[in-house]
Amino acid sequence: MIVLVVRRCVLGVVTIFCVYALTFVMAISIPGNPLRQGPRNIPAEAERALRIRYNMDNNWLYFTGFVAGLARLDFGPTFTYNDWTCNQIIADALPVSVMIGLSAILIAVVAGVPAGVFGAVGRNGWFDVTTGALVLLGVSLPAFVTGSFLLIVFAMYLKVAPVGGWGTLAHLPLPALTLALPFTAYVARLTRVAMLDVLGSDFIRTALAKGLAPRRVIWDHALRVAFLPILSFLGPACAQAMTGSFVVEKVYGVPGIGQHFVNAALNLDAGLVMSTVLVFAVLLVAMNVVIDVLYAWFDPRIKDAL
Amino acid sequence: MIYRILLVCGALLTGLLFIYSVAERSPRADFTYVNPSGIHTLDPARMSWLQDFRIALNLWEGLTVSHPETTRPVAGAAMLPPRVTDDGLTHTFSIRRDARWSNGDPVNARDFVRGWRRAMEPGTAADYLFLFTDHIAGAAEYVEWRLERVALLTGLLRLSQGWAIDAAQARAVAAHPPVGRILPAAGVPDARAATADATFDRLAKQLGELEVDWRAVHERTLRQHAAQMDDRFSAVGVRAIDGRTLAVELKRPCPYFLDLTAFPTFLPCHESVELLRETSRGVPLTAEGLVVYDPQWTKPDCRRQGYAGLVTNGPFRMASWRFKRRARLEVNPYYREALRIACRTVDMVVFEHPSSALMAYEAGDVDFLPGIDVPYDHEIARLARTGKRPDFRFCNALATFYFNFNCVSDAVLDRVNPFVDARVRKAFALAMDREAIVAEVLQRGDRVARSLVPRGAIEGYDPPEGVVRDVTRAARLLADSGHAGGADIPPVDLLCLPSDQRVCQAAAATWEQTLGVRVDIRFKESKTFAHDKANLQYMIARGNWFGDYADPTTFLDCLVTGNGNNDSGYSNPRYDALVAQARDCREPPRRLRLLAQAEKIIVEEDLPLLTVLHYSIPIAVKPYVKGLHANPRLRFSFKDLRVER
Repeated sequence: MIVLVVRRCVLGVVTIFCVYALTFVMAISIPGNPLRQGPRNIPAEAERALRIRYNMDNNWLYFTGFVAGLARLDFGPTFTYNDWTCNQIIADALPVSVMIGLSAILIAVVAGVPAGVFGAVGRNGWFDVTTGALVLLGVSLPAFVTGSFLLIVFAMYLKVAPVGGWGTLAHLPLPALTLALPFTAYVARLTRVAMLDVLGSDFIRTALAKGLAPRRVIWDHALRVAFLPILSFLGPACAQAMTGSFVVEKVYGVPGIGQHFVNAALNLDAGLVMSTVLVFAVLLVAMNVVIDVLYAWFDPRIKDAL
Repeated sequence: MIYRILLVCGALLTGLLFIYSVAERSPRADFTYVNPSGIHTLDPARMSWLQDFRIALNLWEGLTVSHPETTRPVAGAAMLPPRVTDDGLTHTFSIRRDARWSNGDPVNARDFVRGWRRAMEPGTAADYLFLFTDHIAGAAEYVEWRLERVALLTGLLRLSQGWAIDAAQARAVAAHPPVGRILPAAGVPDARAATADATFDRLAKQLGELEVDWRAVHERTLRQHAAQMDDRFSAVGVRAIDGRTLAVELKRPCPYFLDLTAFPTFLPCHESVELLRETSRGVPLTAEGLVVYDPQWTKPDCRRQGYAGLVTNGPFRMASWRFKRRARLEVNPYYREALRIACRTVDMVVFEHPSSALMAYEAGDVDFLPGIDVPYDHEIARLARTGKRPDFRFCNALATFYFNFNCVSDAVLDRVNPFVDARVRKAFALAMDREAIVAEVLQRGDRVARSLVPRGAIEGYDPPEGVVRDVTRAARLLADSGHAGGADIPPVDLLCLPSDQRVCQAAAATWEQTLGVRVDIRFKESKTFAHDKANLQYMIARGNWFGDYADPTTFLDCLVTGNGNNDSGYSNPRYDALVAQARDCREPPRRLRLLAQAEKIIVEEDLPLLTVLHYSIPIAVKPYVKGLHANPRLRFSFKDLRVER
């Protein structure tokens, strides 16, 4: 087990470094002038001074500056927001996104798994058909539609939630729900398919024939096996949800990290692009390691195989 | 099984609650407004976004300030009028006795010198550097000298690190006397007289191969330069005669100078910022010779190296600032009218999505939207114009939307660029149906623009009439230029931003129908758009300009040959001469007439750009907010606000 974790971590570090280097190459080769920030053209003199200051006149110095910063966990300045460092921006935005993202994943698991199980057990019944339709809706509706819809209903008409912003617990449910919808739908679908597969297998039939309570068979024996594909989906999904959603953040005015992910690329802000990409890469690798560990915990057969 | 899932979920929930417990909570401010994009920078010397100006002008106070309603300059930290010498060149300002910083320190004339000097320093990289180099005596020379030294020091630094240097750096290094002396001895030809960059490229390589202790040369030069800086700056026309007297010497008389001193780039800077100045080798400069301050100086909670947080001298001070969330302003207790200010706290909140901002306004969470940039803005305009929503108002902005024509490139995207011919540009302008765009396409209540400077916006200035739509004349002009009926005109490239889709499509359709040309609209996101435009990789491009001060030159300077914002590549010696003549003219009415003549060349003869409309910007102010005036500069003062909820 430990060997597995260590091996995964080492591989992860190599992956992350490759991602980092590749991002640098892409960040500096996008056309456009990252130093022009305002509505005015930057004076040539000012641009020359800034290029010198950020070592942009020498790509190798520029890159080694980033790598040295990475070693110190200091991602340096941003071009777009002069007054803030990349570290400050990430420290400010990441907790918000993690909170919304984890809430979304929680909702997805708590709502999606039972929906999938009930759907599989009462196959083609009214519940299965209804959840099937809802799942289709959840997967296909884009976040800016569901987000705006929820805002209008809950914030404008029912007035039970603030319109947007961040700072209190009341700001959490709507963005989390919006973000959760596609994940919930996917989890429900995945659970249903996996459960249908498992419910038809011999060990379930045996358990039922031995007179075991169907509830126990379904929730304990069948779900244990059917949960594995969901678990492998949850790893990347967690990383994706926690690094924020540009659309959800924009609709609800939430100061998460997703907007920086997109805006930094649009603003050609190399420092911020590289640090947000790094955050995403680290989260993705870490989540995959966590899921591997959980996998072994859920299914002893896998632990033995390792 | 299920208990394991619950266990994992429970662990996650605990984590969430922990993160939540560290979130901030604060009571609602007296007045809350939306800043759609957040603050880009709070450094007055660097800012160039309107949103940033808006907040800076409530935090700081210049020598003068803009009147909240008329935008005319009125007394700020200095008393008006300043003493002006007969030649109109030297202005002597007296700082008010009761002008105070937010930590209680009196405002000193040296604080203005510091603020202005910071803005001139290359390390600050101010977008509005030209306001100093164009107006203040000796500023351009100082900036040039500093840049040359920065190139030298960077060249020496790179050589000491073993890196190759570029031609500009080699040029500066070769011209540096101590290095120049050793060059012939080392067998390197004296390249100081040469001008070709190839010579300097060769020289750069030779310098790298020299056996010289570049580190020592760099260090010595850095020290020498630091010692010379104050002396050189004394030739710049801004000096503190004593603590309360500031003398400003201009390059030439400037009738709008008091308007400029209300501009953010001319704000003062408290001395505590010096604590955060970067040093290298014991010298208050970076190794490259730049003057750089820790950018954290704009934070109210920055505590390092003895710095006690941002200090400002305006009616408000910054209480807290969370990135892209919220900024809380509170009354500066030392401000001379602090007790009179009714609105004690102001919150700036960020809503990037305009519809969400409007919803927050409708729900009563915010009191003021300084712009309603929603896709259904025509509906907002209708509600405002019909009186159904008196809280929606309009600012007739000192701003113009236009199309730039590329006047110089023979070919764009491998196609012949017909717009180098002024007749073609004029034909396109004559075919343009501005009224339809304003009244039928946009329906926002913007004003039709036939001149670059909005009519009536600048006192005493009468802009030219411009061209009126005349399709027959347009067709004739096109025929004269050898393109009858659009013949031989390749598909016209129209570079656009997605935000201006409706205008661009309408304009393209008009040109296609009336002139028989094909127009290909090319949408680009803002950065690549700006890059393509600045590099003249377009035939027609959308453009706009917001005036910075109440003088036609804030618009007209952009079209002078070689101006950094001359995106059309336009050059006409006659135009340049008229603008220069106006610059040196001492009689204000004649000066404005000269400028009107210059503008006539732009909007009636050469047409390097095709003006379409002057923006009317909708704003939303709750009826219980009194004292907030819709003004053409879109800068709003919170000092006189009363919130009668």
